[in-house]
Amino acid sequence: MTGPRVVVTGLGAVTPFGWGMLPLRAGLRMGVTALAPTRQLDTSRHRTRIAGEVPPAPPRAGAGVAGWPHLSRAEQFAIAAAREACGQAELDPAAGEVAVLFGGSTGGMLECEHYVARLLAVEPGRPRLAMVASQQISSPGDAVARALGARGPVATVSSACASGGLALGAALDAIRSGEVTAALAGGADELCHLTYAGFNSLRSVDERPCRPFRADRAGLSIGEGAGVLVLEALERAVARGAQPLAELLGWGASCDAHHMTAPHPEGIGAAAAISAALADAGLEPDAVAFVNAHGTGTPHNDSAEARALTSVFGGRSGPLPVTATKAAVGHLLGSSGAIEAVATVLALLDGAVQPTPGEEPADPDLGVDLVVGHPRPLAGSGVGLSTSFAFGGANAALVLASWGERP
Amino acid sequence: MSAGTRARLKELIIEHLKLDGMTPDMIEDDAPLFGEGLGLDSVDALEMVVALQKEWGIRIEGADATRETFFSVATLADMVERRRGSA
Amino acid sequence: MTRPPVPLVVTGLGVVCAEGAGREAAAAALARGEAPLAEVDRSGGYHLADGARFAALAAHHGTARWVPPMAARRMCPSSRMAVAAARMAVEEAGLEPGSPELDGAAVVVATAYGSAQVTEQLLHQILLESPETVSPALFTESVANAPAAQVALVCRARGANITVTQRQAGPPIALGLAMTELAAGRCRRVIVGAVDEVNPLLHAVLDRFRALARSTGDAPELARPFDRRRDGFVAGEGATLLVLEGADEAHARGAKALARLELTASAFDPSAPRAGWGRDPVSLAGALRRRLERAGIALDSFGAVVTGTCGSPSGDRLEALLLRSLWGEARLPPLLAPKAVLGENGAALLAAAVLAVEGAAFGSPVGFAQPDPELGVEPHGGGPTSSAPRVLVSSPAVGGAASWAVLGRP
Repeated sequence: MTGPRVVVTGLGAVTPFGWGMLPLRAGLRMGVTALAPTRQLDTSRHRTRIAGEVPPAPPRAGAGVAGWPHLSRAEQFAIAAAREACGQAELDPAAGEVAVLFGGSTGGMLECEHYVARLLAVEPGRPRLAMVASQQISSPGDAVARALGARGPVATVSSACASGGLALGAALDAIRSGEVTAALAGGADELCHLTYAGFNSLRSVDERPCRPFRADRAGLSIGEGAGVLVLEALERAVARGAQPLAELLGWGASCDAHHMTAPHPEGIGAAAAISAALADAGLEPDAVAFVNAHGTGTPHNDSAEARALTSVFGGRSGPLPVTATKAAVGHLLGSSGAIEAVATVLALLDGAVQPTPGEEPADPDLGVDLVVGHPRPLAGSGVGLSTSFAFGGANAALVLASWGERP
Repeated sequence: MSAGTRARLKELIIEHLKLDGMTPDMIEDDAPLFGEGLGLDSVDALEMVVALQKEWGIRIEGADATRETFFSVATLADMVERRRGSA
Repeated sequence: MTRPPVPLVVTGLGVVCAEGAGREAAAAALARGEAPLAEVDRSGGYHLADGARFAALAAHHGTARWVPPMAARRMCPSSRMAVAAARMAVEEAGLEPGSPELDGAAVVVATAYGSAQVTEQLLHQILLESPETVSPALFTESVANAPAAQVALVCRARGANITVTQRQAGPPIALGLAMTELAAGRCRRVIVGAVDEVNPLLHAVLDRFRALARSTGDAPELARPFDRRRDGFVAGEGATLLVLEGADEAHARGAKALARLELTASAFDPSAPRAGWGRDPVSLAGALRRRLERAGIALDSFGAVVTGTCGSPSGDRLEALLLRSLWGEARLPPLLAPKAVLGENGAALLAAAVLAVEGAAFGSPVGFAQPDPELGVEPHGGGPTSSAPRVLVSSPAVGGAASWAVLGRP
């Protein structure tokens, strides 16, 4: 799709590594995992015990935000990440029509669970409406728009694990079409019993921290948090003296239409989304320097994704380093695409692909060049591909490039 | 080999997998449940795992969670009785 | 969203609503100004004793003709209604699931509450039994994108698959995303629409927020759009799916165009609390006015406004003042209030939008008696709407978002 070039001018995150980009960047570079036994969510009656849990908020996290203590965790994560991103971009969403385009799965489900538990009298205390006022999946995005005074289009998409990728794609489209000149694109999700129990019922959750692309991978790990990127038309960024961090070159989407939970084993839909993203970016497969994979650690997903990568990139010369952020922070469900886009930009800024936590190399049968142990310097072009493949078959892929590196 | 276990399994299959309009006598003991035959899928298998736990308190893990065990009502019934016998 | 480079047309419409399955059922209810309401199951114990009791339920209507039983067994009510409506729309458009014409089709579905019934069942399992008794089949249907995924599976549509969860503002936003897919040339047609279901827990919680209409003395529970006695909406469920494609594509296939989709727009009012309505209709009207002016669409080209009005005291107020601010001193066209007939759900809005363009009759909603003098507007009282070529769809939402769409005669 043609139109103005779109750049990233701000990044914000709240992750199991902590509140802010600093702990995320450091944690990813070091190749450590933030997956651990939960301390806030009571997992004692669940099949597994670990998750990527965001630590308690720093004291000033909600300063100046009306009603902060009553907001859901997901709303708090979203607002904090959005404020950080706008701070870096020096963007005031209240000045001008700025869009907020988010992806999410849970909304304020944890707080809603407590409300329903009180309604059913299995938990003591009166059910208070404030507990369920943030239940809607649109709540974190709305909370960001409300807290920052945005008046442009605001929308949340909820297509399971592809939501964040789809939200960023929608933001790219909105800026290219001239509907808006800037957007806060991202997502936020919180740990809750529904998703924790649900994925466990499918036997999709590993008792140990997930091991994407490894031979003994046994399932995913669930995480929570938020990622927000400020996207704007290049001309506008330059005119107001903002520093582009990266460029969002293109995106693609597809649907497997194969099965409600299992991905197509050959990764056909995934390959289609990746190819569409490359076409949208005007790039050949050779131009991509690395992949921030969907990489959940489930046997089926990683095999299908490996096949998809091979079918798109198999003919190229040279390695294609792959990293899987979910091994570091867990699967952030609807907001995973957002946090992984942030991680992709970090790799471009650092000039190096972050290692995937864990010491083992990838399963040799997959043909995936997994970065393990220490960051791998980017060779050649600074172009990264971020992939997200969802429950229900929705697929999304994003192409990001280092600023100034447009091939 | 209790006919009661097989009969109950058929009822559980119909109830938990929402096979409206089916009756237990329409499910043969040895017919394949998955793929062809009844045409159930992996999610149905996981539903049965939950059903078996609720009905008989049997936890299915590892060695019992195989295609062979879940092949037919007969193989499932064998596993259930083996597990209950050793409880 | 700016105007698409090629005209986009609706070539198929499928509806499941309180009146029944099929577009004729929706048309009949809207013409009468009334649809059947059913009593919600209150045995779960969450309802207030003196609270709302009724809803415009639709999931019980037979859809076996469009959704085979072995597929339906896995579907939550939203999925089933969405698949039925999608198949009706696809059939009307003269298309076949599995055909090349549908292979790359995108699917965009808006839902406000998602799979509420399945979520309630899962919460029961987790809270009253244990997390380990959670049903995997229910969990797979609990995701908001289950209906869109099921539509793609049944129609074998492998383009982009997007679910919008933006409360009442979802449907026009979904239309906008569909337009973008087509304008960008990423697919040749889109199956787009809205679906919602009502279940006891959701109904009880809405009532606890005092969002629902209640009966008082001799006055039954009814949605009273723009009425001085309005006290809330009637929850509703249903699905409306459309087939949207380029006019040239439709023409080449010999498909009949039902309506043109010309424009969508959306904005946000930050004065809205998280579970309430905003208080700044003027800024919303300003955003829409700028979009219409940029697109060269004059207000007097609208023959009707399909409003999201549902009987909510604050919601109707916001919508009325927004429309009056937009039209200024000029006279408003007829205002249609489909949600006051078919219940508060996005499917009602979209079905009415297409039917209005087709010239369908809209009767006065049965709950309307006397206009609220503060608002100074009333719903269309039956009889033909104007012959002007366009219809404005207006949908402000709880939480602050608002969205609009412009449909025109083909």
